[in-house]
Amino acid sequence: MLETNKWIQKFFDRSSDALLIFQEDELVLSNQLARELLDQLDLKLTYLLQVARNKIAQQQNVVDNCFNCAILDHMPNHIIPLTLTTKTGQKLHYSITYQVLDEENEVLAIELKSQEALHRANELAQQKQLNQYVNRAYEDERKRISRDLHDSIAQGLYSVRMGIQRIENEKLSSDELQAIAEMVETQLDDTLAEVKGMALEIRPSVLDSFGLVAALKALTKRLQENSGVGFTVINQVNGTHLSDDVKSVLYRVAQEAISNALRHANPTEITIMLVTHPNFISLEVIDDGDGFEINSNKDDYNGHSMGLMNMNERIKALNGTFNIDSALGEGTTVMVRFPITKSNHQKEETINE
Amino acid sequence: MGVEQAPVRNRYQEVVTRLYHSSNYDFVGVALRENQSPHLTRWIHVLGNTNERWRRIVLRRGIGLAGLVVQTGQPFLNNEILQLDYRNQFYCPIARLEQLTNVVAVPITKAPFNQVVGVLLAGYREHKKEMNDQDIQKLSQYLH
Repeated sequence: MLETNKWIQKFFDRSSDALLIFQEDELVLSNQLARELLDQLDLKLTYLLQVARNKIAQQQNVVDNCFNCAILDHMPNHIIPLTLTTKTGQKLHYSITYQVLDEENEVLAIELKSQEALHRANELAQQKQLNQYVNRAYEDERKRISRDLHDSIAQGLYSVRMGIQRIENEKLSSDELQAIAEMVETQLDDTLAEVKGMALEIRPSVLDSFGLVAALKALTKRLQENSGVGFTVINQVNGTHLSDDVKSVLYRVAQEAISNALRHANPTEITIMLVTHPNFISLEVIDDGDGFEINSNKDDYNGHSMGLMNMNERIKALNGTFNIDSALGEGTTVMVRFPITKSNHQKEETINE
Repeated sequence: MGVEQAPVRNRYQEVVTRLYHSSNYDFVGVALRENQSPHLTRWIHVLGNTNERWRRIVLRRGIGLAGLVVQTGQPFLNNEILQLDYRNQFYCPIARLEQLTNVVAVPITKAPFNQVVGVLLAGYREHKKEMNDQDIQKLSQYLH
């Protein structure tokens, strides 16, 4: 029993939250972190106590319409947000949780949780989710490429071989020969188109050799043929220097935004606008599809696309900004901006169309 | 499209017209492979269309319902085609553009080896009627 008490004492002392227990107005117990914190802070204990007591009083107030409220009863254990200032003037954000341990003897426990720690934990969780998504997307992409190679490229080449074998092995009339030659040629054309299309989806070489606009035009031409949706690329970026990283990200954002529009929005026209402004370059992907209600929380794209969230991370890493504008029935606009400088020391490319 | 393809083209245009007028399909269309390289397969004639966006489509072998007909030489039908995602193997762009809910598609073949040179497709809007094997037979009959 004594041993167990020691453990509890240790646990109490080493907790990552600051813990304080009061009886009436006296501090009876506090853990290591609480003592450190009180040391740092320009804070009277009575203030903390008062905050907690006021909250209790508020909740027991009969005059308040919220008394006995069903929602309040479901609220997690009385959390009060609080900003504390250290002696050096630094502001710390905390949440106070309190519990009445013994009503008769007025024993009250107060827990101070650092919101920074909570926030950090949330960020980590989000990061983890994002990592998982990226890994899964990476695997999915490989699966798709492998399937395409097998189903269309290998299949196509196989039937070409069959055709040639027939020419070699069978006695064929000139009409039949003509027909097989036509079949083989058609099949090779299809396979060629497929290889080019796959290369474009995986990593467009035009992006490196002819630049972003050429790559976007190649991509949209193919997607227009595949979907029947009309694409327009508006280019006003003549002579703008872009780093390879920025070019790649702009291309991927366009690709992702178009893919989302085709999958979810039912659009008839999609416009891609690439414009240079005095200090930044902007890419806008505008569709006239169904649109969606953007969640008021800017960090969450309505669960709409982890792909876009991933894009957002890549954009932030290059000092860009990312924004989605949409409303039900009003289409969606995805917009990216990157700062540009004339003296870009990275490998540069001039867009000329 | 080569000169020698003009009669073929006319023939299938006529098939589309006959089928559309003698049935209650909301939409009928025919796609044919061009004779010249790169042998693209496009819709050449449609009836019952609500817009002209069908002209933009190039059918890819093995991709989408009509593309699968071209690849396999087998007829396909689907009665929930608009539920399919753009990335789905059976996704049908022309159904999306024309808001067709039920579609049926049969291959157009050519002697002497019955290679597939095109697709005849018919569809209903707003789930007017379910497609079944009889629709496949009906479309095939119009081709012969």
